[in-house]
This record gives sequence, structure tokens and C-alpha cells, in this order.
Amino acid sequence: MYKNGVDTIVAASTPPGKAALSLIRLSGPESFELLKRIFKKGGKKSFPLPYSAYYGSLIDPDDGSTVDKVVLTSFVAPNSFTGENTVEISCHGNPVLVSRILAILIKAGARAAEPGEFTRRAFINGKLDLLEVEAVAQLLSAESMSQARLALNQLNGLPSQRVAAFRAQILHHLVQLEASLNFPEDAIEAIDEHRLGHELKIIRRELRIFAESARHGNMVAGGLKIALLGRPNSGKSSLMNYMLGRDRAIVTEVAGTTRDTLEESMQIGSMPVKIIDTAGLRKPGDRIEALGIERTRQAIADSFALIGVFDGSQPATEEDLAILAELKLQQKPFLCVRNKIDLVQRLDPDFFVGLNGVGVSALQRTGLSGLIDELTIILQKSGLENLEKMVLLGAQQQNALDRALAAVDRVCEGIGQIYQDMLAIELEDAVRELGRVNGETVEVNTLDLIFERFCIGK
Amino acid sequence: MNGHDFDVIVVGAGHAGCEAALAAARLGAETLLLTINISTIALMPCNPSIGGPGKGHLVREIGVLGGEMASCIDETCVQMKWLNTSKGPAVRSRRAQADKFLYRQRMTKTLFNTTKLHVRQAQVTDIIAKNGVISGVRIETGLVFNCRKLIITSGTYLNSRIILGRATWESGPHNQRPAKGLSESLIANGIRLRRLQTATPPRILKSSVDCSKMKELPGDQDSGGFLWENRRRNYDKQISCWLTFTDERSVNAVRRNMSESPLKLANITNVGPKHCPSIDRKIINFPDQITHQIFVEPEGWESQELYLQGLTTGMPPYAQQEIVASVPGLENAVILRYGYAIEYDAMAPGQFKKTLESRIVSGLYTAGQLNGTSGYEEAAAQGLIAGINAVLALQGREPYWPSRTQSYIGVLVDDLSTWEKPEPYRITPGHAEFRLKLRDDSAEKRLLNDAAAIGLVKSERLDAIRQWVSRIESEIARLSGIKIQPSGDTRTKLAETGTGDLKKTISATELLQRPSMNYQNLHGFFPEDQKLELHAPDEIFNLETEIRYQGYADREDQRIRQTELLEKIRLPLSLADDRLQALSSQARETIFSNRFDDLSQAVRKNCLSRGELAILLAVLNLATKDENEPEVAQ
Ligand SMILES: Cc1cc2nc3c(=O)[nH]c(=O)nc-3n(C[C@H](O)[C@H](O)[C@H](O)COP(=O)(O)OP(=O)(O)OC[C@H]3O[C@@H](n4cnc5c(N)ncnc54)[C@H](O)[C@@H]3O)c2cc1C
Ligand SMILES: Nc1nc2c(ncn2[C@@H]2O[C@H](COP(=O)(O)OP(=O)(O)O)[C@@H](O)[C@H]2O)c(=O)[nH]1
Ligand SMILES: [Mg+2]
Repeated sequence: MYKNGVDTIVAASTPPGKAALSLIRLSGPESFELLKRIFKKGGKKSFPLPYSAYYGSLIDPDDGSTVDKVVLTSFVAPNSFTGENTVEISCHGNPVLVSRILAILIKAGARAAEPGEFTRRAFINGKLDLLEVEAVAQLLSAESMSQARLALNQLNGLPSQRVAAFRAQILHHLVQLEASLNFPEDAIEAIDEHRLGHELKIIRRELRIFAESARHGNMVAGGLKIALLGRPNSGKSSLMNYMLGRDRAIVTEVAGTTRDTLEESMQIGSMPVKIIDTAGLRKPGDRIEALGIERTRQAIADSFALIGVFDGSQPATEEDLAILAELKLQQKPFLCVRNKIDLVQRLDPDFFVGLNGVGVSALQRTGLSGLIDELTIILQKSGLENLEKMVLLGAQQQNALDRALAAVDRVCEGIGQIYQDMLAIELEDAVRELGRVNGETVEVNTLDLIFERFCIGK
Repeated sequence: MNGHDFDVIVVGAGHAGCEAALAAARLGAETLLLTINISTIALMPCNPSIGGPGKGHLVREIGVLGGEMASCIDETCVQMKWLNTSKGPAVRSRRAQADKFLYRQRMTKTLFNTTKLHVRQAQVTDIIAKNGVISGVRIETGLVFNCRKLIITSGTYLNSRIILGRATWESGPHNQRPAKGLSESLIANGIRLRRLQTATPPRILKSSVDCSKMKELPGDQDSGGFLWENRRRNYDKQISCWLTFTDERSVNAVRRNMSESPLKLANITNVGPKHCPSIDRKIINFPDQITHQIFVEPEGWESQELYLQGLTTGMPPYAQQEIVASVPGLENAVILRYGYAIEYDAMAPGQFKKTLESRIVSGLYTAGQLNGTSGYEEAAAQGLIAGINAVLALQGREPYWPSRTQSYIGVLVDDLSTWEKPEPYRITPGHAEFRLKLRDDSAEKRLLNDAAAIGLVKSERLDAIRQWVSRIESEIARLSGIKIQPSGDTRTKLAETGTGDLKKTISATELLQRPSMNYQNLHGFFPEDQKLELHAPDEIFNLETEIRYQGYADREDQRIRQTELLEKIRLPLSLADDRLQALSSQARETIFSNRFDDLSQAVRKNCLSRGELAILLAVLNLATKDENEPEVAQ
């Protein structure tokens, strides 16, 4: 059922399964008309009013029978999540009932919504910006408290507001500069490059912090990666299974079995974590192994922290030493695990003295709590649990933010070195890219702003 | 051809009309130029100046393409100066003070000396079109002239009305006759008009001004002229302008009389150019600003009149008297002509193409203030484009679509054909997104090929300019081949020049990109056998600028290519492909209707989303996977 090319969509918005109540959402120009045909409301309040709840019965138009007693909430456009006329139907939480109501609504003219369609409509109607749309997607798929919190930050518009503020600040300087370039005879104060440089450096510092919190946000949202490094047979796969509390990795006595990296999610405290079992860094024997080593390198690069796994029952080999060196080389938090403490210890007791270390037996399943404690400390130190300011950016937006930062960098470096017309181009670049981060208009319309701010004219 | 049949008729001999008529006749069309008053050809009814950022760029480009304004102002100016020199070559521009009388005289003479160009005094009252195709005009006396192409450049004359306080009368600028009848005829042919307004300041008697209270603003002797041939011209004799400022007394004088301002009386159309607000409007919009600058400008060598830039107003005479007398240096100024506001008919948006041909009546072109611009330079540039395209069409040749990636003229016609804002359009560097490329000094390089293709410029001139361009280009190529080693000697010299140390071998062009280096001191770093090839300052300036902007040019190039790609896809499309059903109905309407000239315009006006553009390009088989994929500004 179309009106101005837009139809009315419907979907259950609580996950399938048994719950006390289920929520069905209807959005589109025909929402109200459609419901009027199948809803018999109690009370005298007229339907629909903005933000109003109604109690009544849903009727099956085929036989006139009452399907369920429900509560309707009406949202009149544009004051709804999607910006369209929207009705939320709260019915009893029975899957059979929910699908029957859906069927009735569809028969009455609604169309089953595609995944994400409500959000898409909200975006199209200007109710959400790009970042918020991503947030909704994140919220729906959040696996941990911290991910949900992050998504909430997004929904509260935290990143949008910050980016908009940066953009406004830079735009202010751009307009000033453009005014003087475009209207040299209009008594616009000459640009004080020294001051401009000073103020941009302040903006740059803030922008860098923001970019960092976005990187952190993305790390948290994707799950913090922790890679297990160790020579073959040190017990990486066994340790991974132990940490996960289930067997995921294949444990063998033949060195070099794990040729691929394997990734599994778990939670440490409130933080989502992904443990990566790696193939090791041993000199490749064949092409498949070489591939495995490449993957290990990538896993190290992607990881937020590393765990070195050493076989306590053997004296340190050259490979163990290489791995210890690798751990120290990477500028990431790391932890050394002495595995197989159930066996006679032949690894030098001082092998990783002075470094974070714990002893476990992956086989006997002892020592996990010490390991988790150490990891918790690492997470706490990282500041990643400080979620208040953390934000999420999609890859494209992160790129745009980086380009904005690069442009601001070029301004800061260029002041006193390059012409003002070039500085203006750089500032414009920064403003444009920040606009892209938010999905705001990208067009930089400085001329109108100049006329608002300066008395130009002959 | 008898006395009533012409290839091209141009209506109006203002700045647009003169260029249009000259271009048409010079390209070989039998051309008739009809204007209300032969004594006021190329009249400058407002400020006596030509140039400035954006506008000066237009004049340079007009000069390269073979228009007249550049040489006319070079010959008749009383002052020439550079603006924005410290802010960078991309916004640097010349500005000339014109001798208004000499400018008119010279332009008039040029018109009369052009073969195939016939100038007649007549007021056109009707356009004649059959089946949507233009065929001629009727003048006031009832006489009809036939033509194949018609260019209307009626400026501020259509149903124009002067407003001076409460007094208003039907009149063109400077009490010229207004044009009656033509508006109605245009409307009858389906063209929509709107009402615009502009105003001019009072002129005062030179001998009544006290210059000792004002700051003298002399010109630059070595500024050169706009035309390439005049680039090294020395203007040793010039007249100065003067600068003074308003103070509380002036602001109070305006406030005291505000109730008699046309803005308050509301007896005027309220849409005027944003960049030249009247003094009353400035005081209303910026109540806290007390000092406004007033430039006192000569109107010519012999003229006894001075123009008061900054005091534009349509307030009544006694108010103007009070306001002028309140300004330091003008206490005893005698007003010779009062300022006034003028209201006139102009084209409503969206009715002509980038070629300036009407979308409604075929063979009809419009140019200048009629198209909703303001300014002599904007008018002249459009006149040139209309004149060129009228003849190209006559000759069955491809139209000239100037690209916004190549010239300010391109920016101008592109913006204008999609301009939807209520106020008149004035060009500034702010409109040109590729302005690092569209520099004053690069005009020749950018437009030489276009000039050659159009054919307004004689081949000897083209050759001379081409040689100049290639001399600079080959010197740049040579410099990038010269390697400079980080030897001890070089490093000492670098330290002396005050530039940073050298760690690896670099080319001479790279060295020249360093801020403290210039072409002349480059020589000290050359191997023994190498000398500098260029000596003329204009050539050196161009070379240095080209090299310094290199890094930016590369970055800009990518965006330029994207814009060019989209500009090449002309609209409306005539393409039947089922896959286009995937586009929204709005997008389909956009690409199949004749609202835009090309896809670049549609994208810039946000008529296609990023996704829709991708689909369209894929269908058109133009989508490429790499970075060439156009980015949509949204
Ligand atoms: C009061 C005033 C103030 C202005 N202030 C500014 C300013 O501050 N800044 C600025 O940049 N510009 C200003 N201008 C604008 C500037 O004068 C114009 O932009 C420029 O002259 C436009 O050129 P044009 O060729 O389009 O039209 P014009 O120069 O107006 O020429 C139009 C020509 O057409 C002729 N004509 C008109 N109708 C007919 C007809 N029916 N038949 C025959 N001939 C006809 C006229 O006689 C005239 O010769 C001002 C203009 C006026 C009048
Ligand atoms: N005794 C003992 N054996 C272990 C322990 N951890 C792993 N192993 C054994 O060591 C061998 C290699 O283990 P695996 O997890 O595959 O090592 P990986 O190659 O590092 O992944 C297997 O035979 C495991 O059973 C442990 O804590 N104690
Ligand atoms: Mg393994």
C-alpha cells in the first residue's frame, strides 16, 4: 500500500522466543488507517494522538474474532524513530500469536520489513545520522555490556556532536581566511597566522585524542584481540580451549598442526575479548606453513595484547628465545605463561623474570584465575574500560577522520611556509572530510557564511 | 542579405552586448547590434573599476579567448594595481580604475571598426519566434529585423524603475530610457522573469574634497595589464584613489534618516546583490560596526566626478547630503549626482544552458545582468560565450561548453545555469573549487587550446603565446632533470640562504619548492655548465608558481578528473536500459529531463545519491574500480 511512493512496513521487534510481552512495530504513511480497520480501542481518547497509548482488542477482519488484548502506542510523524507515522503494538509474548498478528497486518496492507529497514527509514528521514545508524546496528548485535554502552554513546550522538564541534571550529577559521582572500578591499582584519597556527594546534591535539578514542572504540566493538604466541607443542591450543572452557582448537602432539589462526570470543570482566591461536613463527617448512606464519604476523599486528606460551617441561629452545624477543619488541602489553606446570620443570625458573608471568597447566586445567587476573590488570591499565568518551567509526569514517587530521597537520606545518590560498584549501579539506565523518553535508559553503559575519560591500 | 536580414542580432550595447556582437562578427556572422542609445555604448553606470579577485580572472580569460574587455581596460585605465599579492598566486589579481569616458569611446570605436558588425540605435520591443525557434525582432517603430540567432543583453533596463527615497520613476540607469515591451514579449514566449534590484552611490565634485584627511592609495606602476601582450606594460602615469572611514556621525546620519530608506519604505524589490549592500542596509545588518571604509575613486583623467564606493544608497537627496558631509574629508563635498536604487526584470532561474542558449526558445541566447549576475566582468564574459556559441550553432559546430575545471568563465556559466538563490550572482574565488589551478598567471596555459579551437584569436597571436608557454614549460622540465647533490659546498650555500639542510640528492624543482628559495638564487646550486634560461619577471613568476603548486595540483587533479568525467556525460540522456529502473523516480526525472546540461551539475545539485550515481555509471559502462570513481559531494 503506497502513499507518495512509500509503503507501510511491519516487523516484530523483540527477538523470537517466549517472553512475557512482544513488541510489533508498524511504520509508514498508512500505519494509522491500517490499524483503525483492525483495532477496537477502549476509552474515549481519539486515535491517533502524538505519543499516546491505547488499550483495546485486535480483531481478525476475516471472522471478527478478537486475536489479543493489546496496548498500542502511536507516534505521529515526524516525531517517531523513523520519522514516519508509527505504531507500536504490545501483545502477549507468544510466538504463534505474534506471527498471527503479523499475518493480519500484512493482509491489511502492510509489508514485512526487510532487515534494517526501520533504521534506513530513520536515516532517510533525517532522524539519525550515519554514525547513529551504525550504532543501531551495533546495539542490535552487541555481545557484551561494554559494546552496548558504546553503541549507546553513539546513539546519544556523542561522536556526531564532537565531530560537528570540530568542524564548526575549523570552519570558523576558514571563513575568516576566505573573507580576507575573496574580499581584500573590505577592511577585513589581516589574518594573524601566528594565532591561527596556535589555535589549530589546539584543535589538532583534541582531534588526535578523538581519533584515538575512535580507534579504541573500534577495538572494543570488534572485541579486543589477544594472540597466543609460542613454539609448536608449547600448548597454545590446549590453553585456548582451557580459557574458552570448551574444545575449539585441535590439540596434537605433532608440532606444527595449527597452520591457520583460529579466533574465539570470550569475556574478561565486562570486556569482549577475542583469543587468537596462532601457528607460530618457526621457519616455514612448506608453503602452507609459510602461509600460517604470515597469518601469525597479521594476528600480532591486529592484537591489542599478546600472550607468550612456553613449555615449562623443556629447557628453553632458540625458538622460545625468539618468541620472548618478539614479545618485547612489539609495543603492546604482554603476558608470559609457563605451561605444563604439572610436569617436571626444566625451563629455567628465571626465564621470564621481571616480566608479567603466570604458571598454568592447560592439560590439568589449573592456574586460569591467575591468568585472568593478569589479563584484567592489562585491560584496566589500557584505559579501554573508560567507555564514557569512546566512540565508534566505520572504516570509511575513520579514513575521513584521518584525512581531516592530515589536512590539519598540513596547516599546522604549513603556517609561515605556504601561501594563505593553500592554507585555505587545506582547511577546506579538513572541513569537508569532517563533514564526511558525520554524513553531514560535505559541501563547504563559505561564501554565505562570509556575508553573515562580515560587512562586505562597496 | 538585405538590410533586414542578419545571422545574429544582439540587443543592447552594454558590456555583455559589446562582447557578444564583436565575437559574432569576428567569427564571420553578419551581425546587427541594436541599442537604445548609441551615445552610451559600454556605459559603466556604477563603479569606475574593472578587476579584483575572480573578476580580474574573468578579464584575463576574456583576453586569452579573444574578447575585448581586457585590451579596452588596459588602454583606458587611470590606475592599475595588484591585490592580494601576499596571500598567494591563486587569489592574486589586478584591479583597474577606468576612465569611463575613454572606455566607452574606445569600445564604440572598436564596434564601428569591425567588419560585418552593424550598429544601430533602436529599442527592441518584441522577439519573434516561430514554433519555438527564434526568427527576429521588432523595434519600437514597428520595423522587423530577421535573424537566425538572437542574443539579448538588456542589463538593468527591462521595465526599470529608479527609486530615490519616496520618489520613483520609470527609467534605466543614469536616466537612460527604460526598455518597455520586451519583458512582455519574452513572457509571451514562455520565458519567466523575476524582479531584481541594485543601487549606486552619489558622485561628488572633485574640487570640493579635502584629501588631506584621507589616505592616498596609489597604483602599481609595474603591474602590467590584463591582456597577455600588456603583461610587461609600465603604467607610469596614474591617478590615486583615496580612502576615508565613516564614524559615529555618519552612522547617526544614516539612523536619523532611516525611515526614508527604501528598505523601510518598502517601495523596492528587496533582492539586491549581497556584495554591494547600501549603507542603510549595512547599518541595519551590522549595528555595532561604526567604521565602514569609503573609497573615493576618480571616474577618469578629465572627469570632475568622484565615485564614493561604500556609500551606495537609494535614500532621498537631503539624507545623502547629510551622510556624505559626515564623512571626514567630505565635509564640504558637493554632490553632482545623487545615488539611487534601480529595479529591473531579469531571468528567473533555470532557463538557459551553460552555452547561454535558452532552454525554452531555440536560437535565443541571453547574457549579462539579464541572467541574474551583477558586474561588468561577469556580463562581458557571458557576452563572449553567447556570441561564440551563437555562431558555432550557425556554423553547425559543436557548442563551446567551458568547463569549471578550466576557467572562471566555466565556473560562471556552470553556476549561473543552475543558480537558484534569490540574489544576483557575482564571481569570487570562493566559487571556484579548483582555484589553485585557475590562477591569474595560468590563464594562457589553461585556455590556449580553447582559443585555438574557437577561432577568435589570430594564429600569429596564438603562436606567440604558445611559445611563451612552452618556454616556461621546457624550463620546468629542464629544472626537474637537474640533480642537486648534498655536497659540502651546496650545504654551506643552503645554510646561507636560510633554508634547511639537504640529506639526499634532489631535483632543482624540488629545491625550488622550499619557501626561502627562488628562481634566481637557484643558480648558485647548479652544476657549472647550467645557466638560468628565463629572465622576464612574468615568466619567472609563472615558473615559480607552477612549481610551488605542484603538490597541490596533483591532489587537485584527481578531483578535476572526476568532475571532467561527469561533465562529459551530457544530459538529458537518451538511453533505454531496464537496469535504470533501479534509480529513484527523482533521479530518473533528473537525467531524462533537460533541467541540467551534464551529470556534474546534477550531482552538485544533490539530485543523485552516491548509490544512484554508481548504478548510472555502471550502466553507462563508465564506472571504474580504482580511485577514478567519482566521489559524490553529499
Ligand atoms: C545603479 C546601478 C548600480 C550598479 N552597481 C553595481 C555594483 O555595485 N557592482 C557591480 O558589479 N555591478 C553593478 N552594477 C551592474 C553593472 O552595471 C552591470 O552588471 C553591467 O553593466 C551589466 O552589463 P550588461 O551588459 O548586462 O548590461 P548593461 O550594461 O546594463 O547594458 C544593457 C544595454 O542594453 C541596452 N538595452 C536594454 N534593453 C534594450 C532594448 N529593449 N533594446 C535595445 N537595447 C536595449 C541598453 O541600452 C544598454 O546599452 C550596477 C548597475 C546599476 C545600473
Ligand atoms: N602435561 C601437559 N601436557 C600438555 C599441557 N598443555 C598441552 N599439553 C600437551 O602438549 C601437546 C601439544 O599441545 P598443543 O595445545 O597442541 O600445543 P600447540 O602446538 O602449542 O598448540 C599435546 O599433546 C598436549 O596434550 C599441560 O599443561 N600439561
Ligand atoms: Mg596448536
